[in-house]
Amino acid sequence: MNRKIFAIFLRDMKVSTRDFIALYIIAFPIIFAIIINIFVPSVNDSTVIIAMLKNDNPEYIGYFKDYAVVELFDTADDVRNRVERRDNIVGILPEKDDYYILAQGNEPEGIVDFVKTLRAYEYFGVTSKDTSVEFVDFGNTIPPIKKLLVNVAIMFGSVLGGMLIALNIVEEKIDNTISAINVSSISRGGYIIGKSIIGVLIPVVGIILMLIMTGFGNVNMLQIMVLLLASSIISVLVGFIEGINNDDVMNAAGNIKILFLPLMGSVAGYELLADKWQKFFYWSPFYWTYKANELILSRSGNWGKISMYTIFIILISSVVFIMIAPKIRKGLEH
Amino acid sequence: MISVNNLYHSYSNDEKYAVKNVSFEIKEGEIFGFLGPSGAGKSTTQAILTGLLQLQKGEVTVAGYDIKHIKNEMFNKIGMSFEQSNVYSKMTGKENLAFYRKLFDVETRDPQELLDLVGLGNKGDIKAGEYSKGMKHRLTFARSMINNPILWFLDEPTTGLDPAIASEIKVIIREQNKKGVTVFLTTHNMYIADELCDRVGFIVDGELKLIDSPKNLKLQYGEKFVEVEYLDGKEIKKESLSFVKKDDIERLKEILDNFEIQTMHTKEATLEEIFIKVTGRELV
Repeated sequence: MNRKIFAIFLRDMKVSTRDFIALYIIAFPIIFAIIINIFVPSVNDSTVIIAMLKNDNPEYIGYFKDYAVVELFDTADDVRNRVERRDNIVGILPEKDDYYILAQGNEPEGIVDFVKTLRAYEYFGVTSKDTSVEFVDFGNTIPPIKKLLVNVAIMFGSVLGGMLIALNIVEEKIDNTISAINVSSISRGGYIIGKSIIGVLIPVVGIILMLIMTGFGNVNMLQIMVLLLASSIISVLVGFIEGINNDDVMNAAGNIKILFLPLMGSVAGYELLADKWQKFFYWSPFYWTYKANELILSRSGNWGKISMYTIFIILISSVVFIMIAPKIRKGLEH
Repeated sequence: MISVNNLYHSYSNDEKYAVKNVSFEIKEGEIFGFLGPSGAGKSTTQAILTGLLQLQKGEVTVAGYDIKHIKNEMFNKIGMSFEQSNVYSKMTGKENLAFYRKLFDVETRDPQELLDLVGLGNKGDIKAGEYSKGMKHRLTFARSMINNPILWFLDEPTTGLDPAIASEIKVIIREQNKKGVTVFLTTHNMYIADELCDRVGFIVDGELKLIDSPKNLKLQYGEKFVEVEYLDGKEIKKESLSFVKKDDIERLKEILDNFEIQTMHTKEATLEEIFIKVTGRELV
């Protein structure tokens, strides 16, 4: 049986590499990782960076090094060029007996304020010993924007896996080959499993690559995989039902997009709404997936919580399965 | 090999039956033709026998398996060639067969050998989507042999093929049958049925009207005719006369005695003519 299931998966894989839309879906996580790394370079920066001159007062430079990352340059022009680059970096340059802050203008207000405050503290000779401030090191600081983008990309990747299934089912329908499969000795269950593999395995591989490429390679991959497998149930189900209900590749791909609404709604709900509104998203498996991904990407997810969220996802997906499984079975009869 | 008793099927799950009280048996090694016009219930019956449609009412065993509880292993023994070709258009002919053979638990045939057999030997590396209708049909036909079936369902196997290819397909069917393969042939083409079948069944409006061998049917229902062309003065005349009717026999004697015969042929009734006579319907 395993040999037959694998044959179904390999066939889908082979045909998918000959289809532009399917190829795009397969490559999506990699493309997304490249976009994050190229177009949003500043999301890598988790601390304040200050550009200064190499020949500046070493004590002065040392003060800033205690509270920020300091990059040193030979000339004022080099500092200016560095500040003008896309990411958020603030320059401190000498002027007569004083210093001035050089900013591009599009830096977050907090970063510029932080550098201004550091300048003032240095001027008045304030150090951490003079304050009651307690420094807490959380071990890893993950930039929120990057974490959000990668989290959403993980969920997108999973949904696109469903789209891959739908495309392959539509192809079988167009070619009328399901009837030929039905008179072979593979069971209906075996066929469904074989068809599902591509929609689970491809996102898993792609998402792991994306995590590595975006600097999240050191998160708990086992937790990621458990969560991906759980969240892919809903994508697989929707992939099958859309494949069965559509006779056209573009329609199937378009209809899968219906999943993006609860997906983005869940993300927006979690990120933007107050606690009292959160319960209105409990029905969405994407809400729990996002929450669990958030923990894993922050490297603060313990197995207790991850397992709990995974169970919620599986329970919600099971309800969907009970509702649409008969339709899938019926749709694969001919 | 096939046993069907009191088979009924309704697509609307009511009393409007597409197949009504159909019963027949097919012996091992037989070529059985299931004949009828479009919509008669041929394909419905075949779909039930191959498990593509769920059995609603009646008793059916195929290759020793009860169709009520189909086991996947049954499909190792049967082959099915569909009327409408159904092959993966994004895969080559060879890839289509190579994939399909992996779905069986029995020894399968080499894809290239099958492609050669149906005249697609040099087209195996072309995507099936680029095949002509006839080529796709041949690929579908070849695929149905991949698992060396002992029971072979053929739905209109020569439809859409040019006469030369159709003739080759008929030869293949005969050769497979000689090897002991039982054939269930569904068609509305009486000529192929007449040529190939040991027995035929006429189905109309979901009901099986009769089953017999083409020879017996001709003996029972066919009238033998003689077609004679003779010279009457300067004019060539043509008449078709029965061997059975007295008047016609007398007329034939008269022609033979008085006119110069140009041509004379005996003519048997065709299966199509018998079908029309028995069912009152044409094979459209």
